[in-house]
Amino acid sequence: MGENLLELAGVTFGFEEDAPPIVEHFDLSVQRGGFVALLGPSGCGKSTLLNMAAGLLSPWEGEVRYGGAKLAGLNRQVGYMTQGDTLLPWTTVARNIMLPLELRGTPKAERGPKLEQALALVNLGEARDKYPSELSGGMKRRALLARSLIYDPPMLLMDEPFGALDAQLREVMHKELLATVGRLGTSVLFVTHDISESILLADRILVLGGRPLRCLEEITPPWSKPRDLDAVRGSAAYLALEIRLRGLLREANDLTLAQSPKSPGKAA
Amino acid sequence: MTGKQRRYKLVTTFWQVVLIATLLALWEYASDRWVPALFVSKPSVIGATIWKWLGDGTYANNLWVTIEATLMGFVSGAVAGMLAGYATGAWRRLGDILAPLITAFYTLPRLALAPLFLLWFGIDIEFRVVFAATIVFFLVYYNTFFGVRDVSAELIAAVRIMGANRFQLAWRVILPAALVWVAAGLKISVPYALVGVVVAEMLVSNSGLGFLLASNASQFSAAGTFAAIAGLLVIALVNDWLLTLLTRRALRWKTLGLGGQ
Ligand SMILES: Nc1ncnc2c1ncn2[C@@H]1O[C@H](COP(=O)(O)OP(=O)(O)OP(=O)(O)O)[C@@H](O)[C@H]1O
Ligand SMILES: [Mg+2]
Repeated sequence: MGENLLELAGVTFGFEEDAPPIVEHFDLSVQRGGFVALLGPSGCGKSTLLNMAAGLLSPWEGEVRYGGAKLAGLNRQVGYMTQGDTLLPWTTVARNIMLPLELRGTPKAERGPKLEQALALVNLGEARDKYPSELSGGMKRRALLARSLIYDPPMLLMDEPFGALDAQLREVMHKELLATVGRLGTSVLFVTHDISESILLADRILVLGGRPLRCLEEITPPWSKPRDLDAVRGSAAYLALEIRLRGLLREANDLTLAQSPKSPGKAA
Repeated sequence: MTGKQRRYKLVTTFWQVVLIATLLALWEYASDRWVPALFVSKPSVIGATIWKWLGDGTYANNLWVTIEATLMGFVSGAVAGMLAGYATGAWRRLGDILAPLITAFYTLPRLALAPLFLLWFGIDIEFRVVFAATIVFFLVYYNTFFGVRDVSAELIAAVRIMGANRFQLAWRVILPAALVWVAAGLKISVPYALVGVVVAEMLVSNSGLGFLLASNASQFSAAGTFAAIAGLLVIALVNDWLLTLLTRRALRWKTLGLGGQ
């Protein structure tokens, strides 16, 4: 694999000055073209890491490097699909998806074809003229995905992107996502709660937990890059990994609970 | 509209007309029988006064003065309120610095400022406009301020990562997101602008519907007072109708998912 596109080097961060930090001297890297999944219990600090990678939060200590240079301010080289619904409710799906192109001043002639491509990718062609309030939860997530992909960012930050989708659609989206990032060589930093999702998609899975946050284990699933997801799902290695990750996640969960302030674990 | 809906509307209108006609008839009958006409006048006499005022230009002149002052007060108060609300909402430091000042002026009874304004602007139209504008200002100001502060940090972050500069962020995201609140502020403040102007006219002035109202009341002319109120009623109804029409158009996206048209 090539060099690292994104690096968090010894970062320390907390929301309150006088409380112990959530993340302390933490390292994380994503190599060019790599797909890294962050797996960890709720509230452990996964979104916080993504926000630092996006330049929305600055670490107290340590630094964030993107493309070899120290990040100062926002990181506009990434596509960021946040956890919440950030579609603009007053405009249509098509205009929402094209928004980054407008904001970045992409020539008008290029916008149309890119929109068509993005709509086709997430299968929202029918809904292009609808307003977000007319979409189902899953359709909203797909529109958000299309919007973060439309300007071909070298890196995608995804915060539980497919949580609201049903199993069927999730499978389709997994295939489409892998095909797209494989074709474009996009690097991905992907937050999820879903163990099987992490096994299917990632080259590296980091199990996170505890306060301050640490990496309990790094797992490298053995599948090669253009992977056949159905074959993976049926393999014995997949099952073994799932069981192992389940155990690790339980451990991470207990650790986070025990070390969080205001939790009964600490008082005991 | 289907035939059924049209029929429903027609029947409703019919009963509304019947209700109003009955009330007017009752009023006509009760006056001078149960209540002295000096206090409540009679619809027939009021009608005659209205007719006279329509003919001799009393309405035309005074109505126009009131409408003009209301519009000017509304527009200046609303523009100032939106600008100030946006600035203090989007620029946190400025908002925190100005907060005590704005709260102080907001809690001060506006009527207490009337003598001061009178001193500065005299009894001409400026006094009413300024008086109405101060009322409108605060309503629009607070709605804009909270609307701007209410825009989710996540949305702002997402749009900035997508490439928005400060200007695009304000114009494409914060303003439209705050618009629901701003529109609500504008809508409730139009009647207040009218109230402000009429109160100012009743206090001191020589024209306008408020003046007409106060001068007729001081001459114990119940018919004239009611005729002036009828003029106000017409302005208020037209106002409300126009506003409903405008806000419904501007906020159409808001009702889409809720089964509205
Ligand atoms: N804006 C904020 N102000 C103060 N504390 C915050 C803020 N955002 C998050 N936190 C706290 O920081 C910790 C980590 O939050 P974060 O959102 O990174 O968790 P997460 O791992 O993404 O959880 P989830 O899986 O539920 O999304 C949590 O304990 C949370 O309460
Ligand atoms: Mg999160």
